[in-house]
Amino acid sequence: MKGLMIKDLKLMKSQKNFFLLILAVAVGMILFSEDVTFGLGFLTFVVSLFTLSTISYDEFDNGNAFLFSLPITRKTYVMEKYSLGLLLGGGSWISATLLVLAVGMFRGTYTVSEIMLIALMILPVMILIQAIMIPFQLKFGGEKGRLAIIGALGLLFILGAAAVKLAEAMNVDLFALISSLPTPSMGMLLAVVITGALILLLVSIRISIGIMRKKEF
Amino acid sequence: MLKLEHLQKRYGNFSLDCSLELPPGCVTGLIGQNGAGKSTTFKAILGLISTDGGSVTILGKDLKDFTARDKEELGVVLSDSGFSGYLTVQDVIPVLQNLYPRFDKVFFLRQIQRFQLPLDKKIKDFSTGMKAKLKVLTAISHHAKLLILDEPTAGLDVVARDELLEMLREFMEQDEEHSILISSHISSDLETLCDDLYMIHEGKIILHEDTDVLLSDYALLKVSQEQYDKLDKQFLLRSRKESYGYSCLTDQRQYYMENYPQLAIEKGSIDEVITMMIRGAAL
Repeated sequence: MKGLMIKDLKLMKSQKNFFLLILAVAVGMILFSEDVTFGLGFLTFVVSLFTLSTISYDEFDNGNAFLFSLPITRKTYVMEKYSLGLLLGGGSWISATLLVLAVGMFRGTYTVSEIMLIALMILPVMILIQAIMIPFQLKFGGEKGRLAIIGALGLLFILGAAAVKLAEAMNVDLFALISSLPTPSMGMLLAVVITGALILLLVSIRISIGIMRKKEF
Repeated sequence: MLKLEHLQKRYGNFSLDCSLELPPGCVTGLIGQNGAGKSTTFKAILGLISTDGGSVTILGKDLKDFTARDKEELGVVLSDSGFSGYLTVQDVIPVLQNLYPRFDKVFFLRQIQRFQLPLDKKIKDFSTGMKAKLKVLTAISHHAKLLILDEPTAGLDVVARDELLEMLREFMEQDEEHSILISSHISSDLETLCDDLYMIHEGKIILHEDTDVLLSDYALLKVSQEQYDKLDKQFLLRSRKESYGYSCLTDQRQYYMENYPQLAIEKGSIDEVITMMIRGAAL
């Protein structure tokens, strides 16, 4: 696994300029924009998605055939991709949060608890994005993967819209329903959401292992 | 070291059914045209593709029980795949060190220097010869027992090919248990290196013979129609109609030389044997 991780970090080195550009944009957003949350999310999401580009690099020029002749299993490969994703996502999330905290305290625009709340809401979203994107990328590869993601989002949107329409047709006000739910403390809600995201991540890992086991190179 | 028994794989209208055996200490060649099934056989041995039947025993284990740890004993070159072209040799070293506990960095670096491969240039910018040398070097630098080399000499000039074959000979000299399975569509690449050769055509093994026997006992008889009619055909493997009469392949050169001294008998090169085995009619 360590060998694969080193390979991916070395591969990312060839995207160094793109990486630095993203870093500069995010830092700029955090420093010069009133709303620090966008920069925080942007940095976390974009950096965590570098994992997907390493999957594309692996596939390029039929590189996977050689990769899987090395002493690794398909499961190790999948575990390494998720670890890399969490490492990149987690690392950038921590760095961005620290930066936002420093900026927020310096400016006095946000309190620490406000920033932490925003940061903790971004964390499950980052995990969820990984959980969705990695299996898609492994299954369909670079080009088709992007199309598949767009298709899946479209489908989700249609289903959501249909649910709302259906509720309207049945004279149920969804928003009123949600806001009338007993509201547990924010911390409790976050804990539930993060746990949910982690469970989905585990399911996603299982799916990805299944996808890789079936692949032929 | 390696044994395939009726290894089967079907793709559309191609079907592979391959049996072969590689004893310890041997270099075995697999020769065939493009699309004959060489790469499919190699990929099946490495577990890169699923198979439709038969068995693969590798280093004494069934392929299904062959673990990642066991793969450390293999050195692999694939014709159409390698390390990402975006990496450099310098990048590859720590990767290999972590994948193979027995990776010999000193040896690797010495060979890199010997073949003047640049350390900090992206592999995609290497010449064909440099890429091929790096692939073979990667395969032999971690004390593997068995090398599985699919077309390692493809596209190389004579000098680069000889250097590469020299690396393989050195590998064989290191340990008498070392073995190599190597494929090529150019037989002259293999005839100086291999102990025995398998010929594969349309997914089937059509000939297996020791290289020495192939070079000494196989011959082409060039005969007229009249000579052909009188010829004892029991030791002929294939024959083909030619403008002057018939061209026949035998694996008993001595027999025909003694009994038909007036015939034109040519020592068969491996390429000619292959062509006859594929194009000629069985008798």
